[in-house]
Parts: sequence; C-alpha cells; structure tokens
Amino acid sequence: MAPRHNVRILDGSTFVVSETTGDIEATPSEPTGFFSLDTRFLSKWVLTVNGERLTELSYDDLQYYEARFFLVPGPATHYIDAKLSIIRERVIGGSFRECLTILNHDEKAVDLEIRMDAAADFADLFEVKDEILNKKGEFYTEVEPDRLRLGYRRGNFRRETIISSLEPARYDRNGFAHTIHLEPNEQWQNAIDVRTAALGPGGRELRMGLRVQRRERPALQADLAEWLANAPTVNSEHDHISATYRRSLIDLAALRFSPLSLGGQTLPAAGLPWFMTMFGRDSILTCLQTLPFTPDLSMTTLRILAALQGTRFDDFREEDPGRILHEMRYGETVAFEEQPHSPYYGSVDATPLFVVLLDEYQRWSGDVALVKELEQECRRALRWIDEYADLVGTGYIWYQRRNTETGLDNQCWKDSWDSISYADGTLPPFPRATCEVQGYAYDAKVRAARMAREFWDDPAYADELEREAAALKERFNRDWWVADGGYYALALDPDGRQCDILSSNIGHLLWSGIVDSDRAEQVAQHLVGERLFSGWGVRTLAEGEVRYNPIGYHNGAVWPFDTSFCAWGLRRYGFAEEAAIIANGILDAARYFDGRLPEAFGGYPRELTKFPVEYPTACSPQAWSTGAPLLLLRTMLGLEPHEGHLAVEPRLPVGMGRIEVLDIPGHWGRMDAFARGRLDLHKLA
Amino acid sequence: MADATTRFFEDLDHRGYEPLLAKTSGVLRFDLHDGPQTTHWLLRIDRGDIRVSQEEAESDAVLHASQDLFEKLVTGREHGLAALLRGDLTVTGNPRLVVRVERLFPSSPHARGPLYYREGAR
Repeated sequence: MAPRHNVRILDGSTFVVSETTGDIEATPSEPTGFFSLDTRFLSKWVLTVNGERLTELSYDDLQYYEARFFLVPGPATHYIDAKLSIIRERVIGGSFRECLTILNHDEKAVDLEIRMDAAADFADLFEVKDEILNKKGEFYTEVEPDRLRLGYRRGNFRRETIISSLEPARYDRNGFAHTIHLEPNEQWQNAIDVRTAALGPGGRELRMGLRVQRRERPALQADLAEWLANAPTVNSEHDHISATYRRSLIDLAALRFSPLSLGGQTLPAAGLPWFMTMFGRDSILTCLQTLPFTPDLSMTTLRILAALQGTRFDDFREEDPGRILHEMRYGETVAFEEQPHSPYYGSVDATPLFVVLLDEYQRWSGDVALVKELEQECRRALRWIDEYADLVGTGYIWYQRRNTETGLDNQCWKDSWDSISYADGTLPPFPRATCEVQGYAYDAKVRAARMAREFWDDPAYADELEREAAALKERFNRDWWVADGGYYALALDPDGRQCDILSSNIGHLLWSGIVDSDRAEQVAQHLVGERLFSGWGVRTLAEGEVRYNPIGYHNGAVWPFDTSFCAWGLRRYGFAEEAAIIANGILDAARYFDGRLPEAFGGYPRELTKFPVEYPTACSPQAWSTGAPLLLLRTMLGLEPHEGHLAVEPRLPVGMGRIEVLDIPGHWGRMDAFARGRLDLHKLA
Repeated sequence: MADATTRFFEDLDHRGYEPLLAKTSGVLRFDLHDGPQTTHWLLRIDRGDIRVSQEEAESDAVLHASQDLFEKLVTGREHGLAALLRGDLTVTGNPRLVVRVERLFPSSPHARGPLYYREGAR
C-alpha cells in the first residue's frame, strides 16, 4: 500500500500516485505511477532543472482530483536559499494534465535546461508490487516532432501513453526537454498533457463508443459542488461530527466509479487507490450505509450488478446462474485470463445482499419501477441461494472455490486465509459456511417476500419465501447457537461442526433479523462487552480466542464498516443505548484521522493506547469506511422509512450534543431530523 | 461455414424471445471475418423479442470478431469480456448492447459447476 507521504489524485479509475515532489519513480515497494484501466501508463515522471532533482517546500492535495507542489532545485538542506522556484499543478480529469511554472528570483538572468524523464512499464495493477521482469508483449516508443508515444503491444492488446507539451520541446525516447532563458523576476509556464489509449485492431479505442471525456477543472469543481449540494446538510454542536460527515461525503464523491458500459452513471468503488473498481460486496454495503444521504448510488449499483449477474457455469470465474459478481478488472492479466476478474464471482454474500439492497432502496425512495425492473434478477438471485450455494445440502449457503489457482479461499467479507477457524485455532475443511451470510439469506427472503406481495403481484411466491425464511431461522438457531457462550458460531464445517469462536459477525446477525428474540440480549451484551468492544469499535475476533491478535486483519482489528453494521443490528433489536456506545466509539476514532476512517485499526483497548492505532497496510479512503459515519448517524438518529414517511427516533449520548440533519431525501420529498444527546453512556458501560 | 455460429443465431430466432434481454432494445450487427470474407448477422432486439437476419444493415452497435473466435464464444470455449479486453473482439457503437448479448454465450463444455460435498447434496 502507498505510504502516507505519497500524494494521490484521481477521477474515477484514473489516478496518480506520486512522491511529495510530484515525481514518479515506481518500485515494487513504492508503487507510484499514473494509472488507468488497471494499467500503469507512467512508471517514471521525473522533473529536473539543469540536471538537478527538486526538493519540495510544500504540497497541497487541494481536491481529490488536483494537487499542487512547491519546489526548489537541489537536495533538501536545513537552509534553503533558492533563486528559483518551481510550481507543479496537476489535475486528473479523464487524462492527466500538469502545469509547470518556473520563477526566477535572482537579480541576474538565468539559462535553464528543464527536463522531464518519462517511461511507462504498462504494469497490470496485479503486478505493481512485484519486480516486473518478463512482460509477454513488446514495448515501443515513437518520438514525433510534437509528442512522445510510449506503447505496449501483446497480440491485439495495445496500450499507449501519449505525452505532449504546449511549449515546443525536444522529444527523445526517454522524455522531453526545453532550454529557456529567464530575465530577473521573469517566469515561464508550460502545460503538459498525458493521454492514455487502449487500442484494439485498426486503432479502435477499447473504451468503445464512449468518448473518453477530458474533464477540465471547472467541470470537476461543478460536479463536486452539485454532489455536496444534493446531499443532506449535517449541523452539530460539536464540530467533529459535521466535519466527519463532510469529509465522508467528499471521499464518497472521489470514490465514484463509472463502469465502461454505463455511460457516465456512477457507483461506489471499493477503495483508493488500488480498489477503484466495482466490487459486489463493497459497493452494496456502501450503498446500504449511504442510502439516506446519497440514494442515487444504490440505483446505479443495482442496475450494473444486475446487468452482469451470472448466467452460466464458469469454474475459472466461479460464475453460476444468478450469482452477483465479486470484482471486475480491466488490465492485461485479466484480458489474457491469467486472473479471473472479467468479472470474478467468488463471493457468497453479494447475491443475497443484492436483494436486501433493492428492498431497502425501495423503502427509502419509494421507487417501485426499479423493483419491477429487477424482478427477474431478484428471482434468479434467490434461486442461486437455494440451488447452487447449498453445497452440503443442509439448507445453508456454503463456499468452496473451483478456481484453485487464483480464486479466493474465503468468499465472505473476512476473506484472508486464516479468518475462519475452530476454537483451537485450526482451520476447518471446505465447504465452509459463515454465519453472517445465512443472516443475509434470511433477510433476502423476508424482503423479497414483501416485494413479491406488494409489487410483483405474486402472493404465492411471497408465502413460499416466508415459509423458507422461517424454516431457515429455526434451523439456524438450532445449528449455530453456542449455548455455553451465549452467541452464534462463526462458521460450520461440512459435517456441521461449529467454529465456536466469538466474532463481530454476530452483529450482522442482529442486522439481518435472524436472531431469536430471546437470544438477542446475550448477543447485544457481547457486542458491547470487554472481549469484543475495544472502546473504539467492535473487534473482528474477540480477545481471548486463540487466533486473536489486535492487528490481525480479520482476527482482532476493528473495521469501522463492520462496527457500523453491528450498531444498526443493535438498534434493530431495540438496543439503542448499546448502539450509541459503539457508534460513539467509531465517531471518536474518526477525530484522530481528520474524519477519514481507515479500512481498519488495531483492536487494542482504548484505555491502553488512548488513540486508535491504524492498521499497517490499510487502504484509505475506503468506501465502506467512508460510509460508516453515515450509517452511524442514521442509527443514532433512528431514521427509518415507514410506510412512505420518515420516522425519527434519536438516541444520542449526552456528550454528543445537538445534531441536525437537513433535507433527507426520500419518498417524502425532503425532511429534517433533529436530535439531542440524552443518553448517559457511563451508567450503561 | 461456422456451424455453431449458425446454430446460435438460428436458435435465438426460433425462440423469438430471450428473458435475459427483456430490458434491452436495439439493433446489434455481428461482422464475422475470415480473411477477406465477412459474414453478417443482424439481431433486432425489442425488449426481449428477437429477430435474426443476415444483412448488412444499419445498427446501434457492431461487434467485430474472427469467425474462428466467434465459433469459440458460442460454444463456451472463449470468454466474451476477456476477448473484448484483449482487443480480439471489438465494438463500435453502444457497448451496452454487447454486454447484454455477451450474457447469452454458454458455459464451457468443461465447466463442472458447484462442487457439491457429497452425492445427493443437491
């Protein structure tokens, strides 16, 4: 992952990761570059003045799509007395544009050799953290009078980087240069344009009929302003709540991704910078978190996932009829089927969650047309649950990868290799079934029954789904309950043996409604109890389990998104105080990250570290971390659509003061919600 | 003559309606090349209703591929979107039509499907 001092700007899936000087010199440990379509189009971009590298005085990433670097020639020293200053300003808007300004502060005139070294390794995003030694295709370079063309060709697969300078330049195979003369106090400016091309036979653009739009700064600015204006306003007595909300909204804007086939509509990508693509699970969960604030994202997400729903069996991509995709990629390794993401279907939760999102979206928006439009896709998704996911024949969703080379072992959200274990720490055989996915399946059936009855005019199907859901709930409460612990097992092995460890997944079970009401209290107490609740959030795995490690990715770290669904679940079962406790923890943690919650942070007890310890390789901003504060606001304010109206039932901790959310969009038009902190959490905890 | 290709289009024509295209309307032309020779197939889709002809008429999108590749696509031995990313299959016009129609290509003849744990699990 990119270290913190790297500067990242992006527009959709086109982005630049550079050093703080603006330079790019990619290595496996510092995978900087200019990327588009999951391909690195610049692996070197180094500016020199009279042969000298530059040092930064400061830089600003002004907006997510632009950055500015203030530089002086020569190495960094304690005392800088430069006679020259250099300003690099760059904007990403489809292509990459850099404006260069050089100012002479000297009382004498100067002659300068300005040079930009440029190279492209056309690495696939899957390759950037490795030494790239033997690309299977061939590289080419074309030096033209007014541009430099860097290219890569493998069969009909062709990618090109086209670099052109506004001021006349001398182009060579390794970059371009200018010789300039500056009088005292004179300045020189240049604009450099770097375009990408993805070409098929006959020079046809892969991005097909779509215009590869070059969006200039004013258009990007207007787009962001409109995005912010359309979302509700949050005012809070304590600034950090509204600041976190605003940070989240801006990051969500940055994370919008427009798939090739969708003509400009956007859905949330998973994370910046390495996961700027569609993920079934991440996109759906982010939509569920953000529905009260940015409902349009849900409509697009549902439509695109429906369009790419599985229709056949494909063992390499793990596609089945009705299955919702896991991840889509566009790079060379995918094109040549060295990786399966075209798209890859190896997740078992995206399919039931697709049904859940459609219902939740309708309840907020009142949009019946979309529920009717996606009826067949919903039915196919529900059929997948029963016909293709029940590998053991016991009425649950199981997974076992068919792609044993490049497929995922664990096809649930905790997808690292060691995330699912028995209490003694050993790993169970496959197929495996994890608890939260059974909850999602239950919820999908209950919600689909409502849609069938109210909108699909199929009460018989609704009855059938409700019977199935009730049977699943009964079965689940029999097979998964760990009686001596008072919680549900994380997973079952194929012989029905429990992985009887205490994990955050039980919070998702509350959210889905599969928990028997007489067991909810015990589950709720675990979620706010010492073993799971760190003071900042809910640990993925409880302290005391064999594999517990406060910085174990899925074995102890706190994931803000995960905690936000736990809070929603607590609220659903009436545990408003408990929900407020963990919501408060995450919103407090956000203050240490300037409102931008990372993917995960350490599960250390709050009183021990006093601040949340960021997980070492966390990706940031990440969509479902960005969505977490929004879902927590919804949860604490008790926002709930109810028969076309918005119900508000706030339960805030005392210290949180007053919060107002204005212009919440939905079936009702726009509505405001007001809340004041009244809960004394110390009495509870 | 590319037999599987002909069967693919004739089958669509016989069915007359394809539920996977229920939300799709438009005209998609297939230009299938074999050296200097090009075979044309025209798919007129009206919310799932399909008419097939072999004419070089105007369309909302044109899909270009070699006859050999297309034969493999319609028998599940090649993958449409991967071929598109590779540049072996190209599209002019509205890409959405192609993404929709690509869903109609069949499973690989070698696909095993879900790995059921024991006989009778399903």
